[in-house]
Amino acid sequence: MFDDLSALTGRALRKWIRNPAAVLPGFFTALFYLALFGNSFNPTSLIPSNMGGFQLTPAELLSIKSSILTQTFQGAATYISYLTAGIICLILVFNMAFGGIDLVLDRQLGFLSTLLTAPISRGSIYFSGVAQNMIKAMSLAFLTFLIAILLPDGLILGKGFGVLNFIGIFGAFALLAFGLSCVFTALALSVRAIDSLVAIVNFATFPLVFTSTALFPGAGFPSWLLAISNENPITKATDSARLLMVNGVLSSSQLSTLEWDIAYLVVFAAVMAIVGYIAARKALAPV
Amino acid sequence: MPPIIEAEHLTKFYPPKTKAVEDVSFSVDEGEVFGFLGPNGAGKTTTIKMLTTLASITSGKAKVAGFDVAHDPSAVRRSIGVVPQELTADDELKGNENLVLAAKLHHVPRSEVPGRVKDLLKLFDLEEAANRRVRTFSGGMRRRLQMAMGLVHSPKVMFLDEPTLGLDVQTRTKVWDYITRLNHDRGLTVFMTTHYLEEADGLCDRIAIIDHGAIKVSDSPAHLKEKFGGDVLSISMSGDTDLSEFLRTVPDVSDVTREGRVYKMKLPRTERALPVIIEGVTSRGLAITEISFSRPKLDDVFLEVTGRSMREDEGGGQDSWVQNLNLERQAS
Ligand SMILES: Nc1ncnc2c1ncn2[C@@H]1O[C@H](COP(=O)(O)OP(=O)(O)OP(=O)(O)O)[C@@H](O)[C@H]1O
Ligand SMILES: [Mg+2]
Repeated sequence: MFDDLSALTGRALRKWIRNPAAVLPGFFTALFYLALFGNSFNPTSLIPSNMGGFQLTPAELLSIKSSILTQTFQGAATYISYLTAGIICLILVFNMAFGGIDLVLDRQLGFLSTLLTAPISRGSIYFSGVAQNMIKAMSLAFLTFLIAILLPDGLILGKGFGVLNFIGIFGAFALLAFGLSCVFTALALSVRAIDSLVAIVNFATFPLVFTSTALFPGAGFPSWLLAISNENPITKATDSARLLMVNGVLSSSQLSTLEWDIAYLVVFAAVMAIVGYIAARKALAPV
Repeated sequence: MPPIIEAEHLTKFYPPKTKAVEDVSFSVDEGEVFGFLGPNGAGKTTTIKMLTTLASITSGKAKVAGFDVAHDPSAVRRSIGVVPQELTADDELKGNENLVLAAKLHHVPRSEVPGRVKDLLKLFDLEEAANRRVRTFSGGMRRRLQMAMGLVHSPKVMFLDEPTLGLDVQTRTKVWDYITRLNHDRGLTVFMTTHYLEEADGLCDRIAIIDHGAIKVSDSPAHLKEKFGGDVLSISMSGDTDLSEFLRTVPDVSDVTREGRVYKMKLPRTERALPVIIEGVTSRGLAITEISFSRPKLDDVFLEVTGRSMREDEGGGQDSWVQNLNLERQAS
């Protein structure tokens, strides 16, 4: 099983690395998201220096900006410091969702049939789909993290940031990515046409992203949205990663929130793996 | 020894109303080359899909290499090699990478992989192309690579779905040669489908003609031709004595007609009746001055059992194949 899994995943990654057209856009998307959302959407740069007749001095303006960052954006040193975790989750969601296209193509081009007549377990076909999408998306996540750090006015990690923070951040991303990959891999194995996959994915991803705290702080949400957002795994992953990026050292209450969120993500990943596996087995059974 | 492929009353129904295969039964012995001959849409691929665990069986049952296809699919998969009708090698991988991947997925022991890959590349004349991406391969090269991929784990039974589809005459002949060699040298059992009559004729020990999902007849090509066609023999005599009466008494000869000194007749196999004819002619003080016969084609058989002919582009025309008699040819 493990040999089959690594043979299949190796094939997919080899194709991916060989194809610059598949890798480069990922890099630019990361850069673009950070630059776009990080600057044009930056609420602190929208504050006018003249407010209702009061002319603010540059010092006052600066202090208002920093209050916004402290109060609304969890004390992030810059807006990008706040946003990076959400952008990475966004990138994970979209890559998982559209990563299934390769699998639909494998079916359409008959490659899947050759796998199905080979003496390999159906599970290895499913999990190799999960693994290949996860590896691709996680490398982009890491790349985005690096870009955010290197950008001017970019990601400034909290004081005391250490290896454990890093492990926690990418652990949260990985759990989200794994759970999503399970769902979308099973979906990709079940549909027959790329069109159907794209339609379903388009329908599913936007609500998923916009009912989470990936791009906007939950504080501004109406209560119904907040209720949904609190159960959204993207919120859990974003909040966990954000907490660990913005704060180097966590307070005990922050730590307990983090623990609950990570536990939630573990359950999410496990449930999705099982549900996806059942769906994939059905999709791969002889018709 | 039990047959290596056994199909009993296989039926495949695709809802809402396509009966792709209906009540098909046949068996293939180890070491045989067995061919499914039929036009487009006859149900050839569907039969292969059922036998190779890709399609579920609506009713009936099948065993491959001793394992029930429906109940023990994993064991079946371990025993078979499949070369599908569509070309499925990965375009973005190199020729040899596709072979290595196929070997891994069939659990070929790691130490044996390089040797086998090398042998197969050689066997299929792909050594030079091995390091190129499949994207750059021609249709014939892809087809050969696909066959190599189906063989990398030395299966007991090989399923070939239209192995020469879209190949030019030269490449087609080459593929036939590979199949014959694999069958002779390695004793590989081959189940193949085709809609080329001469392919079925030349390659297969036995064939089944399938049309509209059902097997019409099944036998060796020679027997089928004998049963449904027969040779047309034409001989010219040195004298005017009427031999019609005598010729009609020769076993199996029928439809004797005379035009001057030339006689035409139908008979299942010329070489069997010829000694009797020559003896009769000589004993009457005559000699044969010219002799020719036309062999029946599988076309004629096909026409007879399905009520229509294969399309012209698929295996030669209807006109018979006149050739000079080779008296040394062995009767089969
Ligand atoms: N997945 C499917 N769903 C519905 N009908 C199908 C399916 N696959 C095949 N059929 C139908 O079953 C019949 C037999 O098809 P099959 O592919 O077995 O023919 P074939 O003999 O291999 O033909 P060809 O020479 O064109 O490859 C056809 O009528 C086809 O339309
Ligand atoms: Mg077919």
